[in-house]
Amino acid sequence: MINIKVKCFSQVKYALGADELTFQLDENTTSVDLEKIIRKKAGKKLNNVSLRIAINKKYQKEEIVLQNGDEVVFIPPVQGG
Amino acid sequence: MIITPEVLNKQKNDFTIIDIRSDEERQNFPLLGLDTILSSYDESINVAGKKVLVCQFGIVTEGMIIEKNINNAFSLLGGAQAWVEYYNENKDLSRWTRQIVLPEIGIEGQKKLLNCQVSIIGMGGLGCPVAQSLVMAGIGKLKLIDDDFVSISNLHRQPLYSFQDVNKKKILAAKSKLKALNPEVRIETDDVFFDDKNGEELLLNTDVIIDATDNIKSRQRIDQISKKLKIPTVYGALFRFEGQVSILNVNGSAGYNELFPNSNTNGEDSCADAGVLSMLPAIIGNIQALEAIKLIVGINNNLIGKLLMYDGMNHKTEVIEL
Repeated sequence: MINIKVKCFSQVKYALGADELTFQLDENTTSVDLEKIIRKKAGKKLNNVSLRIAINKKYQKEEIVLQNGDEVVFIPPVQGG
Repeated sequence: MIITPEVLNKQKNDFTIIDIRSDEERQNFPLLGLDTILSSYDESINVAGKKVLVCQFGIVTEGMIIEKNINNAFSLLGGAQAWVEYYNENKDLSRWTRQIVLPEIGIEGQKKLLNCQVSIIGMGGLGCPVAQSLVMAGIGKLKLIDDDFVSISNLHRQPLYSFQDVNKKKILAAKSKLKALNPEVRIETDDVFFDDKNGEELLLNTDVIIDATDNIKSRQRIDQISKKLKIPTVYGALFRFEGQVSILNVNGSAGYNELFPNSNTNGEDSCADAGVLSMLPAIIGNIQALEAIKLIVGINNNLIGKLLMYDGMNHKTEVIEL
């Protein structure tokens, strides 16, 4: 098992009701798998919200296998101005 | 009391001008065009009559006059640096002396700001503080692009507008307030909605674009033109107590459409739908202005290739490398 910290901002924070969450996940869990977990946990609140992902403060364009201790931020586009 | 280089030039025969600087500073920045007497810090107190004290940046003399309670004494605002600039180029930069003294800015940085044109797309919650701070910092030319009118619901977060401005064009109300802050700033107003047809022409001759819009389509459009014209964009966006800032499209660095490809929201995150606290646009807009200043002056510690996420509820920030 691996431990992953998710830092929550914007719609993700409101959808999950937390600033920060930790997950215990199977080894070989990927960033895409984690996004599915997050979306399921949010119910319908993240429907139609596209999310980008950063792992350990680095933006990731491709799916990546998560490592124990990784810090993940999901980045939703926000449009207010 | 202080006196600016411009006023001193007009009234220099009315004063004894005392240069309290070191020999090295006098050699490097001679006070051309002024008849000065040289004096040490202590001796200058005893000079009779109206006098102007000159140090290198105008800060030592300003403090000295207050501390020693020297009568009939003025400190030259911006000091010798400001005088030399005024004498050589007929530009009085003394009002920015507190930021010119920063080694990262200096006279050269201030001149870069003065010679720069920034275009702000959207004069709402973000556009107002960005414009206000850029004008106060000494940007030479601003272009304001917006076709909206001021409404009462804008007033809690858009500080360039007051009750008297309701139903007026935002760009005109903003221009009036900004000119009051600095009468010398050049402001061009474009009463249009930024779109695919007019975007490129609107941004010609722009050095830096400020994305202060409030919808994803406009942000995508700005990004395409920013990339095509090779003009950097300082992006800012808001959500409730939070905001994002980045400098995009600098020498091939990431743009909005790479950061948020095919982006979507559920449509519930606009300021009208999600709500926004009045301070958040000011915080995020001022960070945009700060990044624009760093970009123009050439300060390398900036948000090029990075995304700042800020949460005003818990003051957590995340800087993500793009």
